Amino acid sequence: MSIEEQVIENAKNGKLLTHKCTDCGYLHLSTAYFCRECGSKGFEDVLLDGVGKVATYTIITVPPAGFEKYTPYAFVVLKLDNSDLRISGFMGGIATPADLPVGTPAKITGFDERGIIIEKQ
Amino acid sequence: MEKVCVLGAGSTKYGKLADSIADITTHASVAAIESAGISPKDIDASYISNVFGVADKQVHIGPVLMSRLGIPDKPSLTIESACGSGSVSFREAYANVAAGFYDCLLVTGVEKVTHTGTEWTTTYFAYCSDFFYEGQAGASFPGLFASMARAYMTEFNTTEEDFARVAVKNHDNGVLNPKAHMQKKITIDDVMNSAVVASPLKLFDCCPFSDGASSVILCSEKFAKEHGGDYVECIGSGRGGSPAALQGRDHMTTIPSTKLAAASAYKMAGITAKDVDFAEVHDCFTIAEVVDTEDLGFFEKGKGVEAVREGRTSLNSDISINPSGGLKSKGHPIGATGVGQVVEVYDQLTGNAGERTVKDAKIGLTHNFGATGASCAVHVFQSV
Repeated sequence: MSIEEQVIENAKNGKLLTHKCTDCGYLHLSTAYFCRECGSKGFEDVLLDGVGKVATYTIITVPPAGFEKYTPYAFVVLKLDNSDLRISGFMGGIATPADLPVGTPAKITGFDERGIIIEKQ
Repeated sequence: MEKVCVLGAGSTKYGKLADSIADITTHASVAAIESAGISPKDIDASYISNVFGVADKQVHIGPVLMSRLGIPDKPSLTIESACGSGSVSFREAYANVAAGFYDCLLVTGVEKVTHTGTEWTTTYFAYCSDFFYEGQAGASFPGLFASMARAYMTEFNTTEEDFARVAVKNHDNGVLNPKAHMQKKITIDDVMNSAVVASPLKLFDCCPFSDGASSVILCSEKFAKEHGGDYVECIGSGRGGSPAALQGRDHMTTIPSTKLAAASAYKMAGITAKDVDFAEVHDCFTIAEVVDTEDLGFFEKGKGVEAVREGRTSLNSDISINPSGGLKSKGHPIGATGVGQVVEVYDQLTGNAGERTVKDAKIGLTHNFGATGASCAVHVFQSV
């Protein structure tokens, strides 16, 4: 299974697959092949719960092709509770900023044609 | 290293153009060649920046251009670095002249997309993001910059009106630029009442999709002196990179590649941000100009909106930001933009900027990036 396929399968279970550098401990998303901190290639897989808080977001009203039927929707950057990592994804059902204050608890709940799915907790 | 000079510059009008991509590429190139007072035969090679040639059924534009210029035997290279393609192309040409590899190069940027419509451009431009994490999840480019804008508003307690002022200022400048796509004044109310594209950004916070081409002649100082005519010297060239996706950045209110490119360009030029008289910066969205002016060192982080509010970035104030009108008003033909910024600097420093002239300007800067600043180039120019 490719790295991207592994990300997808884990996201469907609400998890985020990450790569921890075996030399310096720096934590990356699993699409990293070399450590950003020390340049090492040795990683161990670490499976994190995809839970965190909304770091920032936008509500898209002029969508790219394929997203018309979901519009308006939010594109969200989620700061994970259990690490310094952030992960972005699609959040449906958001129409105004009042629906999603920055800091709102949210979690990864799946993956489909809309990429990684994030929902409010 | 050889000193590197810009000997000539030319642009088509930016906007919705009827001519083909090959035609507009040629028109801008011919204008630059005539501005430099040289013959195409003097050109050693060309660097072409373009992203979506496929939209007008012409990729591999370089050889087509060289054939039309009567120099089909000369080499060309097409470079893609999203919206930063023009400055990256300029940088590669700069490096080759500085190294003594070539004496005289043609650098032309071009884009022709307006005939495709908003859905096509929104969809295809999103391919410039880190698609697995961003485009695939429905992020558009306005959406990614809107995410930066939301982060900025949260961190620095600013308002949407603060961003709107950037658009108003750049349209004030663009009115004075006959080549600008949106040559009209707007008000804060116009921005605030325009349709939301990606909250908190509205239509008038966004630059337009534009067609257009820009071209410059880059050469060694020796070549410039031999061929006479007006020229400006490029005294600093810097590049940098950022994590491709916003999620990979510790702070979403700064663009790391801008800081890296600026530090490198300032060091090479032997100047600091305070020495810059005017700058053409990458204002694809109003939030971007605010972040750019901070990352380039003109203002402290979080103080960019205050500078705009106080008029300190207006034409002939503390530092004229985007005297051309910027991407916002002049337009954003993405492959051409970075080269177009150099055209503006050349016109400013050689006394050809007309009503939008920055008075007594000696040092101009260009700042252009690809995507959300994943790639960036900064150049510093000095009048001779």
